[in-house]
Amino acid sequence: MLRIRNLSLSYGAQNVFRDVTFDVHRGEIVCVCGESGCGKSSMLKSVLGFVDAEGDIQVDGIRLAETTVDEVRRCIAYIPQELSLPYETVEEMVRSPFALHTNRHIVFSEEKLMSDWRMLGLSGDLMSKRATEISGGQRQRIMLSVAGLLGKRLLLADEPTSALDEDSTLLVLDYFKMLAKERGIAVLLVSHSPIIMAGCTSCLHL
Amino acid sequence: MIEDITFVGLGIGLLLMIVPFFFLSKYRTGLLRPAMGGTARMIVQLYLIGLYLQYLFEYNLWYVNLAWGLIMVLVATGTALQRTKLKPTVLAVPMFVGFLSTAIIVSIYFLGLVLGLYSVDGAGLTLTTLFTAQYFIPVFGLLLGNMLGVNVVALNTYYEGIKREQQTYYYMLGNGATRWEATAPFLRAAIIKAFNPCIANMAVMGLVAMPGTMIGQILGGSNPALAIKYQMMIVVITFVASMMSLMITVGLASRKSFDKMGRLKDVFED
Repeated sequence: MLRIRNLSLSYGAQNVFRDVTFDVHRGEIVCVCGESGCGKSSMLKSVLGFVDAEGDIQVDGIRLAETTVDEVRRCIAYIPQELSLPYETVEEMVRSPFALHTNRHIVFSEEKLMSDWRMLGLSGDLMSKRATEISGGQRQRIMLSVAGLLGKRLLLADEPTSALDEDSTLLVLDYFKMLAKERGIAVLLVSHSPIIMAGCTSCLHL
Repeated sequence: MIEDITFVGLGIGLLLMIVPFFFLSKYRTGLLRPAMGGTARMIVQLYLIGLYLQYLFEYNLWYVNLAWGLIMVLVATGTALQRTKLKPTVLAVPMFVGFLSTAIIVSIYFLGLVLGLYSVDGAGLTLTTLFTAQYFIPVFGLLLGNMLGVNVVALNTYYEGIKREQQTYYYMLGNGATRWEATAPFLRAAIIKAFNPCIANMAVMGLVAMPGTMIGQILGGSNPALAIKYQMMIVVITFVASMMSLMITVGLASRKSFDKMGRLKDVFED
């Protein structure tokens, strides 16, 4: 699903990473780990074309380039780090990605959302809350459930458990496993969490 | 007949500026010198423009009036660019086109269709009366003044928002949004910030705020019924022009503001 060959990134004279090669297949969860500043988030951003890295990136057989970037992004669900969205309510936050032109064919199912929320330890009444009333951890899990429901072939998640305690991190790991196994999604995530690192298919150390 | 203001009267009127100057100085705002300089510039500029407009009104040639309108657009564009701190290479042309096209379209609509300033005779439809100095120049100036203020606030809010909330912008793009969809929340915030004061002002017009056009007309000898009709139309055309010019500028600037990957380029001056 994701094929990366000889990927290198540098900012001026400073090399961030060099000649990185790996694949993420359907049903796999690959965790990018390493010290702060080693380019973990930039790795995800380079897959989306937000960072100019040298090398070859292919998503579902489509090589990332200026002419194909929109097509590549349509295959991906992305959760950035510490996201604050300009939405007033949780419902708006949840529904807005389904309103995008490219996602209109995806039917939003509240029943399915509630089922995913139960897996993630979220209660259904969050739906009626204002965005400012939820915690960072709840927001992370809500965004994760939305990404899961979008049903894209590749999920990129940047520090999806940074605001979560151990129990919630375990729930998130189980959720990733469910997405990978049952929905056939390829997952590439960045995490410092030993629980996530231990539970994923493989780790990529930068 | 309108009462003239003598030079002595003007001097007495300007004495009122002592009050704000005193407080600007007392609270060490650093605004005393700019305020005094601004007042002096205003006096000189208005006098020079007054003299120029007198000639313009006297000769009243449509092409000279149009040329003057073009100069007004150039000055408005330059001022807006200075106040937005955005790179002229990105915004100069879109803003100029946005201001000029909007001012011409809205002026022609108002002067032609609302005021009926055109003539139809044996030679066909004549639009040159639209460009009569007495109507065209004040309307053009009024539109540009309003477009300038709104565009400065909106464009700053829009580009600063995308730069500051890059994560949000990338979240949208990363989940398949088109560039228009991904920038929509930022444009919405910009529109709200720029147009909220106009809408609030419109809602209290005549009750709390006594609008300038109406006051000017009444002081100039018009009857209040006529003055309010003009005021209504002025509010409508300035509101419409501000929105139109902003949309044209943002639309035209987007090609130069974003790269092919959809990332915001470095649009701010250093």
